[in-house]
Amino acid sequence: MIGIQIIAIIFSIFMIYFATINYRKGEINGVEILSWIVVWIGAIFIVVFPDIIRTFAATFLITRIFDLMTMGGFILVISMGLKNYLSVRKIEKLIEKMVREDAIRNVKTSKK
Amino acid sequence: MKIKDSDICVIIPVYNEEKRIRKVLDDLLTSTDCRIVVVDDGSTDKTFAIASNIKKVIVLRHKINQVKSKGAAMKTGCEYAFDHLHCKAVIFMDGDGQHLPSDLPKFIEKLGLGYDIILGSRNFNLNIPLVRYLGNKTASIVINLLFSKYVSDLLCGFRAITKTAYEQIKWDSVGYGVETEMVVNMARTNLRWCEVPVTVLYYDKAKGVSILDAFGILFDVIKWRFFKG
Repeated sequence: MIGIQIIAIIFSIFMIYFATINYRKGEINGVEILSWIVVWIGAIFIVVFPDIIRTFAATFLITRIFDLMTMGGFILVISMGLKNYLSVRKIEKLIEKMVREDAIRNVKTSKK
Repeated sequence: MKIKDSDICVIIPVYNEEKRIRKVLDDLLTSTDCRIVVVDDGSTDKTFAIASNIKKVIVLRHKINQVKSKGAAMKTGCEYAFDHLHCKAVIFMDGDGQHLPSDLPKFIEKLGLGYDIILGSRNFNLNIPLVRYLGNKTASIVINLLFSKYVSDLLCGFRAITKTAYEQIKWDSVGYGVETEMVVNMARTNLRWCEVPVTVLYYDKAKGVSILDAFGILFDVIKWRFFKG
């Protein structure tokens, strides 16, 4: 096992731990914690036994497993970025609506 | 459309203008019978307290500032003016004193002539900072190319719109892109519009649209052209 594999395994274990902490805090629900554990255990398997996905990579005419993983990583990061962007936009619009409605409800005119 | 001063509301979006807001409002009160609505966009200084203590001024307050949310403040002002004060038109002025109340009659006259949107246009031969001049002209050319509508001063905040116009060009921008979006939305309607020359005094060159804001607006313009119905 080479160094990068060890780092990847440690990182995956840390991410499982991180997900567990958030589950205990109530930030994520049972389905989400299970999904994350499956994802990171899957990542550990791929790191330890890279040949598992060699056939899959060949199907897409990708010769190196590293290339496939890099592409998978990019797809994951971009999709999560988009999801975060949409969530933030939604929250911003909600805050704007609340702030504007509150301003109109509590209008102030001088008592002088 | 026959329009009286009392049918018009002057909307002043402000953010941290404690040094100038009193003078702006005092000058306005002595020069117009229009109703005056100040929308404080979550100022952290005494702007709200000062404006609230001035007679005949209505003050709305956004409790939080969503980072340069001038567009949101303008929308709040419009909704209050049209839905609660039942005004026929509104005139936007900046709260830092750069717009002069002496220019208000030009807008009121054009409203009386039936124009739906009246855009203030600064004299670029005067003391406008060079960066703003170049940015503004570039923006005007880009808008003309993309929307076939040439507005000589795209970013001037001194402008007037009627209730009908507001309903048709209502904007989504919360920040400094609002003026540009108004023009973009206007280009897609048959509303009557015109420009009037206005005088602008620059007190604080650091305030207003920054170069970064300008890039954001440019990105929005492209988005509005190709992804907005």
